[in-house]
Amino acid sequence: MSLRVLNPNAEVLNKSAALHMNINAAKGLQDVLKTNLGPKGTIKMLVGGAGDIKLTKDGNTLLKEMQIQNPTAIMIARTAVAQDDTSGDGTTSTVLFIGELMKQSERYIDEGMHPRVIVDGFEIAKRATLQFLEKFKIPVVMGEEPDKEILKMVARTTLRTKLYEAMADQLTDIVANAVLCIRKPEEPIDLFMVEIMHMRHKFDVDTRLVEGLVLDHGSRHPDMKRRAENCYILTCNVSLEYEKSEINAGFFYTNAEQREAMIAAERRSVDERVQKIIDLKNKVCTGNDNSFVVINQKGIDPPSLDFLAREGIIALRRAKRRNMERLVLACGGEAVNSVDDLNPDCLGWAGLVYEHVLGEEKYTFVENVKNPHSCTILIKGPNDHTIAQIKDAVRDGLRAVKNTIEDEAVVLGAGAFEVAARQYLVNDVKKTVQGRAQLGVEAFADALLVVPKTLAENSGLDTQDVIIALTGEHDKGNVVGLSQHTGEPIDPQMEGIFDNYSVKRQIINSGPVIASQLLLVDEVIRAGRNMRKPN
Amino acid sequence: MKEIVTVQVGSYANFIGSHFWNFQDELLGLADNPGSDEIFKNHNLDMNVLYRSGETHQGIPTYTPRLVSVDFKGSLGSVNSRGTLYNEAPAPPGHVLTWNGGVATSASEPLKKNLFLESLYLEDEDVGNTGFNSGKNDSRSEIQDKDIVECLETGVQYWTDFSKVHYHPQSLYELSGLWMNIEGFDNYGVGRDAFSGGLRGEEINERLRFFIEECDHIQGIQFVVDDAGGFSGVAGEFLENIADEYTNIPVLLYSVHSPDTSMDPKSRKRTISCNLHDVVSFSRLLAFCKLFIPVGLPSLGKSRTSSFLSLKDEKPYHTSAVYASAIHSISLPFRIEQLGPSSQSSYTCGAMAVNDLVQMLAGQARQNMVSILDVSMPAPSFTGHPVQQYLLENLQPLTPEIVENVEDYQAVESMTVHGVYGAGCQRASISEVKDAVQAAYENAVTRPKFSHLSVARCPLPIPLPFPSIFGNLVGQHGELLDTPISDSASRGSLEVHSIPMAARLRSSNAVLPFLENRLGNLRKFGIARGAPGTELLRNWGFGKEDLEDIDETLSKMVMTLNPYSQESSDSD
Ligand SMILES: Nc1ncnc2c1ncn2[C@@H]1O[C@H](COP(=O)(O)OP(=O)(O)OP(=O)(O)O)[C@@H](O)[C@H]1O
Ligand SMILES: [Mg+2]
Repeated sequence: MSLRVLNPNAEVLNKSAALHMNINAAKGLQDVLKTNLGPKGTIKMLVGGAGDIKLTKDGNTLLKEMQIQNPTAIMIARTAVAQDDTSGDGTTSTVLFIGELMKQSERYIDEGMHPRVIVDGFEIAKRATLQFLEKFKIPVVMGEEPDKEILKMVARTTLRTKLYEAMADQLTDIVANAVLCIRKPEEPIDLFMVEIMHMRHKFDVDTRLVEGLVLDHGSRHPDMKRRAENCYILTCNVSLEYEKSEINAGFFYTNAEQREAMIAAERRSVDERVQKIIDLKNKVCTGNDNSFVVINQKGIDPPSLDFLAREGIIALRRAKRRNMERLVLACGGEAVNSVDDLNPDCLGWAGLVYEHVLGEEKYTFVENVKNPHSCTILIKGPNDHTIAQIKDAVRDGLRAVKNTIEDEAVVLGAGAFEVAARQYLVNDVKKTVQGRAQLGVEAFADALLVVPKTLAENSGLDTQDVIIALTGEHDKGNVVGLSQHTGEPIDPQMEGIFDNYSVKRQIINSGPVIASQLLLVDEVIRAGRNMRKPN
Repeated sequence: MKEIVTVQVGSYANFIGSHFWNFQDELLGLADNPGSDEIFKNHNLDMNVLYRSGETHQGIPTYTPRLVSVDFKGSLGSVNSRGTLYNEAPAPPGHVLTWNGGVATSASEPLKKNLFLESLYLEDEDVGNTGFNSGKNDSRSEIQDKDIVECLETGVQYWTDFSKVHYHPQSLYELSGLWMNIEGFDNYGVGRDAFSGGLRGEEINERLRFFIEECDHIQGIQFVVDDAGGFSGVAGEFLENIADEYTNIPVLLYSVHSPDTSMDPKSRKRTISCNLHDVVSFSRLLAFCKLFIPVGLPSLGKSRTSSFLSLKDEKPYHTSAVYASAIHSISLPFRIEQLGPSSQSSYTCGAMAVNDLVQMLAGQARQNMVSILDVSMPAPSFTGHPVQQYLLENLQPLTPEIVENVEDYQAVESMTVHGVYGAGCQRASISEVKDAVQAAYENAVTRPKFSHLSVARCPLPIPLPFPSIFGNLVGQHGELLDTPISDSASRGSLEVHSIPMAARLRSSNAVLPFLENRLGNLRKFGIARGAPGTELLRNWGFGKEDLEDIDETLSKMVMTLNPYSQESSDSD
């Protein structure tokens, strides 16, 4: 997908041309993303020149797949992606809002108004809207036990914009439970403690929550058990492989015996480390039939694996760094960096550890853990692009739940907030503003309507009718959004359609900033490529 | 067996890698082919060092490079990043399992496979249909080899255009969402940001972990980076992670640079930016590897290295083939199979691990981590001429900015000679080569303090997609002829089937200008009062202290190699 490139060879554009170039670029990007928005949006399948497929209904992913060249469009895209990085959602809305702010401004500018005046109006409107949002948001009390129903409603709203209903609903529980699993009171939520793992599976599309951890590798010894119950888990970062030490630097000059001796000494120290692990195993596993599993971030070489296998120990090497943390949160114990003071308190616990093999891919499930604070969402899908799209959706869902907990608030969705804010600006704020900046406020207010309008359009409805109906209800004091099916006003609260407060806030914040920059262009110098030889 | 994982970052690195893997693929094919020469059947090289065995979901065995390649999205041309070995059933177009609503398909114009890739495709189909390659009447023979060679000569655009290797689906990583063209991706700073942005860094690290986890005794990482632009920033960050996560795995780094073919003189601003980029790129990459090998002459075609070659600097397809050949030769000792301590192979000698090489070149007294790469391509035979001299004279540098003739009694070298001819147009035996090299050094004017030699009888095989870069004095088996063999100035894979090679790494003070130029540029453009590049460096994330650290490191390196050097900064 490429965007229209305007005046590619123009070298210096005068102000007005530059401005219109910006406006057009913003509108161009808006056009591309428009059909994405909401539960009735269109999913995009992008097929590359080599037949590679990307599937996305997410503004963020779509932008990243596009080869954007227009500098204005890149600026907007960066803002939208930043939106996703910080709040995890709302990229499409951001692009639409910026595009619409530019479009609304264009009218006034064409009538001869100076962009500066509009920008002043934006600033007033932005501050008023943010204040309005504070009153409009619905506080959610997060005590010891957060209200799971509201978390699920927010997650469901997001997920249903990415996956078909039944699938979204299945995932709703999963993401809500995943976040609750890793949440610790009084601490920020670290979503990295939810591992997202995938498996390719011929026909199945399925997702499940594993309370515990799934690792994408298995043991590397043929004699190690593939399944064990009642397992002690040792999480460690200790090299269990022979490495030629740097002392051997001058080995070209030393004789063969010396060299052999050095190798033997090095090997001995590895073996001693392994022995310490075995000693611990014997200490905790004697007299019962519990098992012992070692999950190591460093390497384990075949002699060490042999050694461990003979003792009935299951050992995995080169675990992801992050899994060290996750394992401890899931199984308990601690991650050790040395085997010197190993003791039973270092060990975690899992009721079941087993391996699953798919061709050359191996997965190790560490399950049935007590009181886990880390978990895994396991996605199965028939091909990479389906898996990738579900993964994106899961990430969105997790972010929505996290935001809700941290915001301690939600905002009514389905366009309700945008219509309410618009009416507030037009009915209450505008008249308090002096002079022509009023028009900037109005432009801002009308730009907000891009969200309900696009939602209506994507549902195949008449946007005019929908907006008239919605604003009418709001003026009567009823806070309503639109029904995705009929366009009729509905109560989002009743329907359980909630958006994140922080997402909305950021859209309102960043949209006008970037639009103002684009409106206040001075002469844009566009050195056409290879136009003038540098001297 | 001790595994090596290869990493290629950036387009020129991938061009080189593409040739490198073609050689390996050719060796694998020749070893299996009943009709091939015994030196290819008994090459005594352990291919498992570079390759992994795997299995598809259907249980079909696979054999693919242990490789992570990083490049721009779109740099793979008509080749799919997941390859074709592990292909799942193609998804029906427009069929989406996760969404009930509208689907908008946006398909780019399918990129047409070139004749070569088309022939590979047909060959795979044939194997698929009949279970084996039926030889004469397969459909591939409908495409003439000479047409393939011709089409590659004129039409290579992407490094995949001439690649005959099946890569693992985890191998080829594309950087997407940069919204930048190659012109903009021209400095360390943007590259670093590209690596850390989004999930890219994490995903690349995961790719590497996939290949390292399965190694029982990894001996090292062979890392090739295109250092001309943002990719050295990508590589620098990546290497930092590697050093952190795999502290004891030595990294052998080739910092490669394609010939400079731009006609326009650079603007001053651009010159400053390029020079500073070279400094920071060098110092960052150096910090996280064990041996740093700068590769890439400003003009390869006009250099003495290319005495017997005929190549075009503006074609990366051409020049990368030479660098790949040298890297191939250097990598041989890492995979020479070691027999028992007492028995000697008649096919190879001089096995060593990556760490042995590193310790030998960089671990000695001077601890010089920057090595010079020399190559002789094709290597001359040991007949006729005052032979031995000839061999050493023919070894010409591929490393830029070095002194030609230096006396350095502290120099340390490691040389690989393979497939050379001895007396009577026979491949020289291992001991003949050893003797000849020894004699050459004895007669040489300057001798290194220490030299290591690895020898293999197996020459460099020239695969079909190798470019036509041999001059008309190169015979079918790479022998050097006295009279031109044909009118045509260049010969390719149809005429030349293999060549003898010699390549050498040396740790020598000849590398001083390379270091001094960087140090000088750093001071002039980055550190001196009112230096024009301070702001630029700050934008790339290098503050005053960082620059002073780099200055200190470089000064120290210069000092150790040249204790008599005057600290040039004293004067200003
Ligand atoms: N059931 C629904 N009926 C009407 N509107 C809905 C419904 N569910 C969600 N919406 C609205 O859809 C919008 C969100 O759409 P969507 O998630 O596609 O875009 P985004 O969040 O702006 O960007 P992205 O998710 O691509 O980063 C919100 O305005 C939300 O209120
Ligand atoms: Mg959304």
